[in-house]
Amino acid sequence: MPEYLETTVDKFIFRVATDRLYASDGVWAFWVESQGNGQVRIGLTDYLQQLNGDVAFVHVKPVGTKLAVEDEFAELETIKATVSLFSPVSGTVVAVNPDLDLSPEIINHEPYGKGWLAVIEATNWQSDGAKLLDPQAYLSAMRSQAEEELKKQ
Amino acid sequence: MSRTATYHTTVRWKGKHWGHLVMGNGPEMDFSAPPDAQGHAGVFTPEDAYVAAANTCVMMMFIWATERFKLKLLSYECRTEGTKLIELDRTEVFTRLHFRPVIRVAADGDTPAVVEARVRRALQSAQKYSLVANSVKSEIVVEPEIVIEQ
Repeated sequence: MPEYLETTVDKFIFRVATDRLYASDGVWAFWVESQGNGQVRIGLTDYLQQLNGDVAFVHVKPVGTKLAVEDEFAELETIKATVSLFSPVSGTVVAVNPDLDLSPEIINHEPYGKGWLAVIEATNWQSDGAKLLDPQAYLSAMRSQAEEELKKQ
Repeated sequence: MSRTATYHTTVRWKGKHWGHLVMGNGPEMDFSAPPDAQGHAGVFTPEDAYVAAANTCVMMMFIWATERFKLKLLSYECRTEGTKLIELDRTEVFTRLHFRPVIRVAADGDTPAVVEARVRRALQSAQKYSLVANSVKSEIVVEPEIVIEQ
């Protein structure tokens, strides 16, 4: 179980897991060290799932798809929006979460756990990972994004 | 994402226990209280309006949800009952809204279990995202009957 940083914006509480890195658009990357070959599990943040609402479907690019950084790797269909998700790392999709077909709501319930989206065999993790945000930096960026959303009212 | 919108209605007293209602979206009608509250039978009442507001809002949100959840909806009918509590001090409050939707959907190539699970998720989302259901303080109970047509 990861530990979390937490911030409250308006009446909403957002959590950021401390054991991974983040793209500023709300996709996290967790290096699966135990597999030793640069595999990175990716998913979306608590903020991004709350912002977009209940997930109806998620379409992740199939195993074997080659991705560059910022390539679209998944499309999320929620009750309120359809959202493209972009890869924070370059590499090849080697696994897609099999539970998403029948239970996509796990993305809402456990965005940092059972709601993971895909595993990427990273081709350049050292370089790609260095460009990502650490949890504290992402927390600050996400908080700014949330406050910007609030100003739209 | 937080934005505001306003909606309005206007009421005018017509004498005795009668009023006239003009809704912001166009319709207008006479209204009264229900017969058990010294009003009249056969006309719109605040009690009906409260229950109808929740019932219609949840239905419209469910229709939207079926589209987002890619369900082939064949029919939807929902009787909703509001329970009024008269307090010791004679104030009154709606304590509960009980929705009993009967929903028919086509299996459309999926197994009944998969479709039913999706219908239940769509219903949960409909309640969660319904403006009116989200605004009331009454307890909300949803007891669906779901029929999957092969």
